[in-house]
Amino acid sequence: MARRTSRSGGGSKRIHVISRSSGWAIKREGASKAAKVYTKKDSAIKGAKRSASKGQNIVVHKKDGSIQKWEEK
Amino acid sequence: MSNIPKSFHNNVFINCPFDKKYMSLLNPLLFTILYLGFKPRIASESFDSGEARINKILKLISSSKYSIHDLSRIKSLKKNEIYRLNMPFELGVDIGCRLFKKGAHKKKKCLILEAKQYRYQKALSDMSNSDIKKHDNAAEKVVRQVRNWFVEIGLRRVENPTKIWERYNEFTADFYEKRKAEGYRKRDLQTMPTPELVNFMREWVKKNK
Repeated sequence: MARRTSRSGGGSKRIHVISRSSGWAIKREGASKAAKVYTKKDSAIKGAKRSASKGQNIVVHKKDGSIQKWEEK
Repeated sequence: MSNIPKSFHNNVFINCPFDKKYMSLLNPLLFTILYLGFKPRIASESFDSGEARINKILKLISSSKYSIHDLSRIKSLKKNEIYRLNMPFELGVDIGCRLFKKGAHKKKKCLILEAKQYRYQKALSDMSNSDIKKHDNAAEKVVRQVRNWFVEIGLRRVENPTKIWERYNEFTADFYEKRKAEGYRKRDLQTMPTPELVNFMREWVKKNK
């Protein structure tokens, strides 16, 4: 089944795990700023999973912004 | 009356390596330029085996007010690897264009990027007193440095670098999702021609900015 994006309408907003110079940020689409910044990527992924609601997509990015992993909670 | 086309003031010539590793920096670079409202101009935007490459480069340089030169491949990384001279050469042509042409070309602006801060001074000592920006081969820093440079040369009302970097990450997610749904495979995405990728970026920015 095709995933729905927040911008195409219908689906819940995705949560991104994004590289920052200071670590790894959890950023919900549409939010004005990152929810939290972690030093370690693993911790950021765990944090994203905890804050995601059921059915929400978590997009884990590589350091260059490309996609490493995409999962649905 | 000037015969400079209107597009000159919006064009940004990109002089960079085209190796696979550099794509992780080139893509955010292209995105940032589009996000800021400019048009990236790059040798890989068109392909005509009948056209001499230098002629294409000269046209791109002459038709762009702005240029970004990445010299991060001035040093070979392994034994017997030949370092690239194209980037310093094209930087020289661009500076020559500004110095020797008249009119709008005198107002050309350029940004020199490097992975490290002082290495270029040894390789290109004629430019040793020029300001450059370093990106440490990090995509997020490319976005930050390019955005900040445009502000430094006069662009106003620009979103902050972190925001643009986050928007680039959102773009990659949308891009991946939509192309997969359209039947693109991993290799199709990795080998996508520059004009096709730029077109997707332009559409995304138009719709989402």
